Amino acid sequence: MTSDAAGPDFDVVVVGAGIAGSVTAYRLAERGLSVVLIERGDVPGSKNLSGGVLYGRVLETVFPHYLNEAPVERRITRHVTTFLNADSAVSLDYSADGLAEPGNAVTVLRAKFDPWLAGKAEEAGAFLMPGVRVDSLLTGPGLDGATTVVGVRAGDDELRARVVVAADGVNSFLASSVGLRQKQPTNHLAVGVKAVIRLPRADIESRFGVSGDRGAAHAIVGDCTLGIGGGGFIYTNTESLSLGVVLRLDDLLRSGHTAIEVFEHFTQHPGLQQYLHGGELIEYGSHLVAEGGYPMVGEVAMNGMLVAGESAGLAINSGLTVRGMDLAIGSAIAASDAVVEAVAAGDTSKAGLAGYRRRLDESFVMQDMRTSARAPKFLERNRMYGPYGELIADVLQNAFSLDGTPREHLLNVARHALRRSPLTLRQLISDGWAGVRAL
Amino acid sequence: MTIVVAYKWAPNPQDAAVGSDGSVDFSRAKSAISEYDPVAFELARQVADATGAEVVGVTVGDASIDTSLARKAALSRGLDRLVIVADDRLAGADSTRLAAVLAAVVRGIGDVDLVLAGESSVDVTEGQVAMTLAGQLGWLGLNAVSSVSATDGGYAIERDVPSGTASMVLTGPAVLAATTDAVLSRVPGMKDILGAAKKPVEVLSLDMLDVSSAQVTLTAVSASRPAAGNRQRVIIDGSDPTAAAAELVGALRAAKVL
Repeated sequence: MTSDAAGPDFDVVVVGAGIAGSVTAYRLAERGLSVVLIERGDVPGSKNLSGGVLYGRVLETVFPHYLNEAPVERRITRHVTTFLNADSAVSLDYSADGLAEPGNAVTVLRAKFDPWLAGKAEEAGAFLMPGVRVDSLLTGPGLDGATTVVGVRAGDDELRARVVVAADGVNSFLASSVGLRQKQPTNHLAVGVKAVIRLPRADIESRFGVSGDRGAAHAIVGDCTLGIGGGGFIYTNTESLSLGVVLRLDDLLRSGHTAIEVFEHFTQHPGLQQYLHGGELIEYGSHLVAEGGYPMVGEVAMNGMLVAGESAGLAINSGLTVRGMDLAIGSAIAASDAVVEAVAAGDTSKAGLAGYRRRLDESFVMQDMRTSARAPKFLERNRMYGPYGELIADVLQNAFSLDGTPREHLLNVARHALRRSPLTLRQLISDGWAGVRAL
Repeated sequence: MTIVVAYKWAPNPQDAAVGSDGSVDFSRAKSAISEYDPVAFELARQVADATGAEVVGVTVGDASIDTSLARKAALSRGLDRLVIVADDRLAGADSTRLAAVLAAVVRGIGDVDLVLAGESSVDVTEGQVAMTLAGQLGWLGLNAVSSVSATDGGYAIERDVPSGTASMVLTGPAVLAATTDAVLSRVPGMKDILGAAKKPVEVLSLDMLDVSSAQVTLTAVSASRPAAGNRQRVIIDGSDPTAAAAELVGALRAAKVL
């Protein structure tokens, strides 16, 4: 059976009602295309996991008033970056109320946010189909002889479409089933372990120095990950905290630790108890994170199919921020515009869908992916996760502990500290330069 | 003829949290069709396919039970149409009240000779509604029903009873509560879900129904966890199977089990 004989059931099948899938479905339905949005979970958001900070300016281009409408938790006005050592901590604390208006970053809980977003797609006319796991793609030969995706199969049922948008998550099995994407090397992947703990509002506000709908995002590196490449985070929700670790997979395997062990070390770290104590665990999960940066993007379109969001390797870990959801929205905008154009032109081949990559390249998505192209490599430098925090703490200890002896110039203190540290000046300069270039 | 499937859109216990005092918190739970109920949908569809009857789903509860997701979840399981009473005055209603509202809906549908239901709800687990509904309607009520099939002018029923299986023939209207393993229920496919969106849904106002009201109030006082039992909490390292087996036998002997 060919697609011509059967005719498509929908213009577009979108697989995965996460951020990328729901925004794509919304924008396509808005433009009058018939869209089905298929989701594996019984409710959108039930299978999704992310750290929890959404850099949401791009979402305002789709939903101008989302901040008042969507279930967002807090607007982040305070970013704290901490080098955590076994018994000391050095923090960089940036706080600015200007970050709230307009909202730069907000915390979200996907169990609430994703149903809202999928609901917007449904209101716009997309057919939301939860509780269905797509088993495989329907394919046929294209005019150019290459494989063409013509629909999806789930159980005994087939649905045909002019375009399939695969937004089925990192390691997109749909994209790899037709060879569009390859299995990623372990240094392109990280494993995230995350928990949500319930904490009274008043405790959150006093511990994190925030109030009202304002919130804080803490990024933590060093001893919290047992020196494994990656970092920890704590984000404030309205009445809970999202916290977890993101660990580079290759380094985790090398360390011999399990992700759970590292996560438990993190949550029990004495340096973090001031924030976490008394919290009650209400959610727990684990997720692979695409961290390969620009080199991981690769092909994003083929005859009859696009990949969007995390499925396309779109994620950035700069060390200061971990981004995925905003890139998913950016890719959904590019994907939906390209699909509208291709369907209108009656050409949904790879060439007809080429507008996707072009729009992606022109947008902030690929520009940011390129800007931070060196970040993954930089973050692979393991000195980042141990000696640095100790070195800085050593310098500051000398600066702050006044024991009656005459103070040395801070530069001298630093020089002595560096001599005691396993780091060399050369490594320091090399890492510093790499850091400047990466960030 | 019409067969009614009475089902519940209930919070999923998998999402419930049990507090240290034994209280159960459903506030973060997502709702779904109560896990005891899919079997009732399936039995109804099979009987209706044999007799040409219409299958009508009926559910009652607070306003949150009427969502696009909830409608599709029910209609994709073989119903021909759906009737809903969604009113916040039914929030936390006891089984008698729910059964009274269901009875009013069934009377309103008319031409119903069979109501199928699950044995219990996943969240409240009283197992009362189906039999109370039978009482409200003045119909025969049977629980533990493991099989239903149409016969000339009635239904052949099988029930799981302590001594085995009882077979019987039924004429006249009845409410049957089916065991969870009476039949294998199908998982709705994509075409079922697409078809669901085209099926009619009727939303009835509670005020328009003739609901008998009993002057009963039921208030939960406390809940407690089941006793933990007398566990020894011995964990045997299984990395060496032979040594582990020997250690297990030793432990069982020491505990005077062997």
